[in-house]
Amino acid sequence: MGDGGGSNRSNSNKPEWLQQYDLIGKIGEGTYGLVFLARIKSSTNRGKSIAIKKFKQSKDGDGVSPTAIREIMLLREITHENVVKLVNVHINHVDMSLYLAFDYAEHDLYEIIRHHRDKVNQSINQYTVKSLLWQLLNGLNYLHSNWIIHRDLKPSNILVMGEGEEHGVVKIADFGLARIYQAPLKPLSDNGVVVTIWYRAPELLLGAKHYTSAVDMWAVGCIFAELLTLKPLFQGAEVKATPNPFQLDQLDKIFKVLGHPTLEKWPSLANLPHWQQDTQHIQAHKYDNTSLYSVVHLSPKSPAFDLLSKMLEYDPRKRITAAQALEHEYFKIEPVPGRNAFVPCQPGETFVNYPTRPVDTTTDFEGTTNMQSSQPVSSGAAVSGSMPGGHVSNRSVPRPMNVGSMQRIPHQAMQAYNLTSQAGMGGGMNPGGIPMQRGVPQQQLRRKDQMGMPGYPPPQKSRRI
Amino acid sequence: MADFLTSTHRAKWIFSPQQLDEKYRAANQRAKQVLEKCGATLMEVDVDGSLSYLEPQMTAKDGAEKHSRTKPLSIEEEQCIRVFYENKLQEVCNNFRFPHKIQATALIYFKRFYLQWSVMEHQPKHIMLTCIYAACKIEENHVSAEELGKGISQDHQMILNNEMISLEFDLIVYAPYRSVEGFINDMEEFCNAGDDQLQMLKTLQNTARSEVDKMMLTDAPLLFPPGQLALAALHKSNALHKVIDFDSYLESMFSRQNSMHTISELSESLHGIDSLELWFSSVLHGPLCVRKYKVPSDKELKHINRKLKSCWGHSSHDEGKKREKKSKHKSKKSSNEAQNMSSLL
Repeated sequence: MGDGGGSNRSNSNKPEWLQQYDLIGKIGEGTYGLVFLARIKSSTNRGKSIAIKKFKQSKDGDGVSPTAIREIMLLREITHENVVKLVNVHINHVDMSLYLAFDYAEHDLYEIIRHHRDKVNQSINQYTVKSLLWQLLNGLNYLHSNWIIHRDLKPSNILVMGEGEEHGVVKIADFGLARIYQAPLKPLSDNGVVVTIWYRAPELLLGAKHYTSAVDMWAVGCIFAELLTLKPLFQGAEVKATPNPFQLDQLDKIFKVLGHPTLEKWPSLANLPHWQQDTQHIQAHKYDNTSLYSVVHLSPKSPAFDLLSKMLEYDPRKRITAAQALEHEYFKIEPVPGRNAFVPCQPGETFVNYPTRPVDTTTDFEGTTNMQSSQPVSSGAAVSGSMPGGHVSNRSVPRPMNVGSMQRIPHQAMQAYNLTSQAGMGGGMNPGGIPMQRGVPQQQLRRKDQMGMPGYPPPQKSRRI
Repeated sequence: MADFLTSTHRAKWIFSPQQLDEKYRAANQRAKQVLEKCGATLMEVDVDGSLSYLEPQMTAKDGAEKHSRTKPLSIEEEQCIRVFYENKLQEVCNNFRFPHKIQATALIYFKRFYLQWSVMEHQPKHIMLTCIYAACKIEENHVSAEELGKGISQDHQMILNNEMISLEFDLIVYAPYRSVEGFINDMEEFCNAGDDQLQMLKTLQNTARSEVDKMMLTDAPLLFPPGQLALAALHKSNALHKVIDFDSYLESMFSRQNSMHTISELSESLHGIDSLELWFSSVLHGPLCVRKYKVPSDKELKHINRKLKSCWGHSSHDEGKKREKKSKHKSKKSSNEAQNMSSLL
């Protein structure tokens, strides 16, 4: 990773690492920072799209955010067709910002579901649903067998590649909450709240101190149902309070569909704090006969329903694992899943063309962190796009993150760097070939050649054919 | 944890002794050249975000004088300094009662850092603390920089300033402690251990762990995969306690080779070595790697440290002022340690 140090070799104002890209514009925004679309300039990969995630400098005065660290440490170690690929890490020592460059994915499940629900008004075809689900499980099985729990699976974090060699291939993204759960030094619950509320497993909602990769499988179940019905399965209202309040409404939504959990079916339920303490009389709530199959419009005898109900098993110990799910009958019957989830192998099947992401070409790398008015940056013309960002985590549901954050004194990094020093010594400063990048002051990131040029194309709403 | 076989640790951070020597020599050489050219070797983060050497403020005449005075550290002297701070690192972690895993992770970061840089370029005290801080974060055992800085009477801003540098190297590392555990479990099965034997295996494990502690202060973690180090530590521990028949244990392990990749790696590195015995002794004592570093006397260390400071371009006057300031902030809890440290910093 990285392409060597020596950021001052060039005469240009742009830092070297940025010079390898044409910045197209902003495609997303999250609690951690901004996401940009860029294209590679070098001849080997010319035109290849890259998503650059810029992490804001940490506000709590405690250095690089754990979110960024987790992404870097985990993604450097793992390689899988169904996991997003981290291609580069760039460090700007001046403002302590970090840039992670990923292979760009044009689509995500959130947008695909939304497109079907709001635009074309028809369900996603069975081949596509099955292929998306299989690939998601395939990536997840890889993560789990490497002792990694994702802890934030939801439609917007499941990306799908656009046209090209990997068209229709699923990529699991956003490892900001992911962690290794082998031999943890502290209980996992010390990380605070995990998983966006609609996709949060019942053991988490009931206050479990320890949990396992089964929390990811619950989320996959919720996503599977959402692919089928185009609606979130358990759309509870979140109680906003810190830390980790009891989420009665979310549990209520789950119980209404799946029925009240019983100690008989879920023995360790008795030990879960909120159940044990009978928080808000949760034990006494009464629910009518349940009907998951009618909510998802599946025959109770269908393999699809069988798989779904095994993913939504209350007892995490009995819940189906990713490895088991991949072997499920559902994936063996027609239509069998394929590598390109969008284009079925059988001719004659219709498929939907999904719109591309919208690109905000008026935002440059300084993004919202700069008080000065932003300059248009993109070379613009070649860009067409129409969707909000894919590596973005807090969209429909705010991302409940209070991971590892602590009260700290204000950050004074900038002062610390105002050192008198001579110019950098250029090449040869990084003989070990340490993979890292060093930036230059923010003002220099702006492309001078674009300044003052009027009439940049606004984000276009165009559809590819 | 993620699989060692496919890890960056295995792919990028295990070297041959020749490669290590080469890296240490290159870093030392570079610092020497800079010293000749600029009169000081310390690197700082530039306002433009790049790293550069700090030009001491001085007149040409002063400069010429200083150049002739300042002598660079030799490769061996650099090593003494690294060993000293690795010991310090263990002390600091022990004082904070951090789990072993954190200490081991921090030590490996520290070693990786000084494969690329000379102690003349980056102050080991700062890097040591940054490595501990980063290790705590990576192992999900977050300690604030402020807390860490307070505990050892150091300005925590320095930790934060250096943290980005730690991201240069890969962050998931494998220490031999867990492998020791794994082998012990395997041995329990191998000898179908009863209560007595379980107790003895526990003893075997404890001694092996302290052997690993010693290895962590050498180049061994940069030369061998953790599984092999664990095995060597257990071998040595068993020579003392005689709990199991090590040879037949190894034989049984080789016969199960497919299931344990540590072993296939071991047989790889055994290739060309006459006997297992020889291999173990070379891991522990020998030419192969864990070169016993000479522990310098206090006097020698002070001498090296003085040299180092003049390489950094720190005048003794500045230092005096700094120390005065530092002692004001000294917290009671760790004042002993702070004294320990400042006596050599």
